[in-house]
Amino acid sequence: MRKKTFAVAALLTAATLTLSACGSGDSGSSPVAVVSEDVKQQAATVLDQPFPKPDLVLTDTQGKSYDLRKETAGHPTLIYFGYTNCPDVCPLTMNNIAVAKKQLTQAEQDELRVVFVTTDPDRDTPAALGKWLKGIDPQVVGLTGKFATIQAAARTLGISVEAPHKDKNGKIVSTHGTQVVAFSPKTDGGYLLYGEDADVDDYTKDLPKILKGANP
Amino acid sequence: MRRVTPAGPVRLLAVPTAVITGAVLLLTGCGSDSDGRAELSVRAAYIPQPVSDTMAAGFLTIVNKGGTQDELTSVTSTAAGSVTLHETVGSSMEEVTSLDVPAHGQLVFKSGGNHLMFEKLKSKPVQGGTVTVELHFAASDPVEVEMPVESATYNPKTGH
Repeated sequence: MRKKTFAVAALLTAATLTLSACGSGDSGSSPVAVVSEDVKQQAATVLDQPFPKPDLVLTDTQGKSYDLRKETAGHPTLIYFGYTNCPDVCPLTMNNIAVAKKQLTQAEQDELRVVFVTTDPDRDTPAALGKWLKGIDPQVVGLTGKFATIQAAARTLGISVEAPHKDKNGKIVSTHGTQVVAFSPKTDGGYLLYGEDADVDDYTKDLPKILKGANP
Repeated sequence: MRRVTPAGPVRLLAVPTAVITGAVLLLTGCGSDSDGRAELSVRAAYIPQPVSDTMAAGFLTIVNKGGTQDELTSVTSTAAGSVTLHETVGSSMEEVTSLDVPAHGQLVFKSGGNHLMFEKLKSKPVQGGTVTVELHFAASDPVEVEMPVESATYNPKTGH
């Protein structure tokens, strides 16, 4: 939770004070000021040392080869690693980006590259990925391929994903990345990180900056 | 069975936490904690409109005002072939068979943490609709909850 809420602390402090006041009979102390501050911190982490864009060639939702560096060179680019059988964080992250993206002009939307790389390539075939992404934003690029290739690329961005495995009930457990990496159109470097709690408002505020390669 | 219908989107901010914390302090101070039953209520229930036709996540908060803990042991819904309880461990989801509802505390399902996982949905939940679920506990009676379907990007912190 990024919202700093001091109300609880204030209340607790007040309660403690009241209690100690009863015990000591110290009437000289004045009540602490109640600070009602509600600061929403910056969603993006700006990296001092941007990540190079992964040298990644995978298969897109049309079944065609997609060279990430070539296709996204000079374009503002967001990359996220997730899977479609994920009910919570993956669709939320992608929908947050998609809703924010729709608030850009059409030209800006066409300029932006949003890339979803599956961490569950066995289940996320090009067709399965394509169907899922169509429900979010058909402009999103969906990539699948060998898990080892995907894992290695994620690792170069400091994102750790594990191979899907079966739990004791035989259900497949997959992992998603915890961060969205934004790449600058000016340098092609991954210079911003967004965590899971970045919401529509955060992306709406930041996308125009990312389009220019500027810091939010 | 009790029927709980959350009145619209519930905005859960720090205030309820403060109130609960206050209550805990008060009770601890009194030293009277003799209520031997869990007193459960549900709030802040919602389902983000899913992308998939057959799978969705659901979130809610179960508040226990009683002095005894209980355990959420299962969730059922006529709308889905299966509803399971999941904890987020690192960046994986792990299915669990039960979750504690602590005395004078709450069990929170929220995005990125615990969630209900609906599978084999009979129809895709659409924003503005509701999905009815029944919560089953180790000790307390089952509780029926109508979960409103919110937008795919609904954030309970901002209420939109």
